[in-house]
Amino acid sequence: MTVRVPKQTDDQPQRRADALAELQSTLARAGELLHSLEQSARRPAPTSVNELQDRLDDVVQDRDELSRRLAEYEQQTGRLMNLYVATYQLHATLDPGEVQSTIAEIATNLLGAERFALLFWNADGTQCEIALGQGLSQDASGFYSAGKYAGGDPAVDATLTDGVLRMGPLDGSEAVAVVPLTVQGAVVGSLVILKLFEHKAMLRPEDRELLDLLAAHAASALFAARVYHQTDRKLKTLESLIQLVKRG
Amino acid sequence: MPPRKVLIVDDSKLLHRMFEMMLRQYPLVHAYDGKEALERLAENGDVDLVLLDMNMPRMNGLELLEAMKGDARFKGIPVILVTTEGSEEQTQRGLDAGAAAYVKKPFRNEELIAVVQRLTGPAA
Repeated sequence: MTVRVPKQTDDQPQRRADALAELQSTLARAGELLHSLEQSARRPAPTSVNELQDRLDDVVQDRDELSRRLAEYEQQTGRLMNLYVATYQLHATLDPGEVQSTIAEIATNLLGAERFALLFWNADGTQCEIALGQGLSQDASGFYSAGKYAGGDPAVDATLTDGVLRMGPLDGSEAVAVVPLTVQGAVVGSLVILKLFEHKAMLRPEDRELLDLLAAHAASALFAARVYHQTDRKLKTLESLIQLVKRG
Repeated sequence: MPPRKVLIVDDSKLLHRMFEMMLRQYPLVHAYDGKEALERLAENGDVDLVLLDMNMPRMNGLELLEAMKGDARFKGIPVILVTTEGSEEQTQRGLDAGAAAYVKKPFRNEELIAVVQRLTGPAA
């Protein structure tokens, strides 16, 4: 596998820390609101209709704020859950085929990609091979054929060179997003999302976190699985040879 | 009330893991294609809800749905189709086949949980 050094490093840990801090802040605020509601309930009985109305208004306001915060909290939990599950599943196996399937499942089920290509540089770094593709037979660009990416899409070419994640619209490119795949900071390939499902109009801000996750984890998971697979195969060959020698 | 049991039918391990996280309060049964789902249904007579993908090997979602609706043991179990097939035609086809609800992938977690709770009531 050929490696190319990117100009930028990923900020995945920082993003996760930010998301966690946001979640903690939301929880703290929700706690404050609950406390405030409890205090309202403990106040002495109102002496007039106006006072009663004021208290009711306060409670309604607090309740609305609490619902809004709860909805935010649920969204953040959902985002973090998606990130956790994607990371877990990428590293849950040492079978290269399964890691590739997981990348495809993340692209399809979590990002809503209808057409995409998973590209990897070949051993001597002269050609980018399509390790996995979906819907590419309907791609009219001609860049993706015979199991290879021919080059020519400016956004893909740029990402394969500089390792920077790009999201559409991109000048001169039909790609919706181009995700660099890196191992120890070196670019080994790219995930190119060419088309989203019709019911998904565009990538959402939270999708950016998933794309970052893929950039940081997909290639290293696949690289580890391939190395394990090769080592395991060699080990089995050696074991067979030893058995053969023992019998002889 | 005992917790509601949910059968997950999807060929994606990622989705199974995600449903495990999202529906932690429900006992789950897992199947990776339609045929396996029929076996799981026969083994688990207390399944209250099925979350069903459309595109799967061996027996797809619509075929499973038809098989369930034609079997007296399973025809009363509500089915939520959870699929990337998002066109109006596909949605209508799923609902015509007897699905109780249709959720398009990718979905927001709270959206799916709301549909599950609507069909099962809150988890015990």
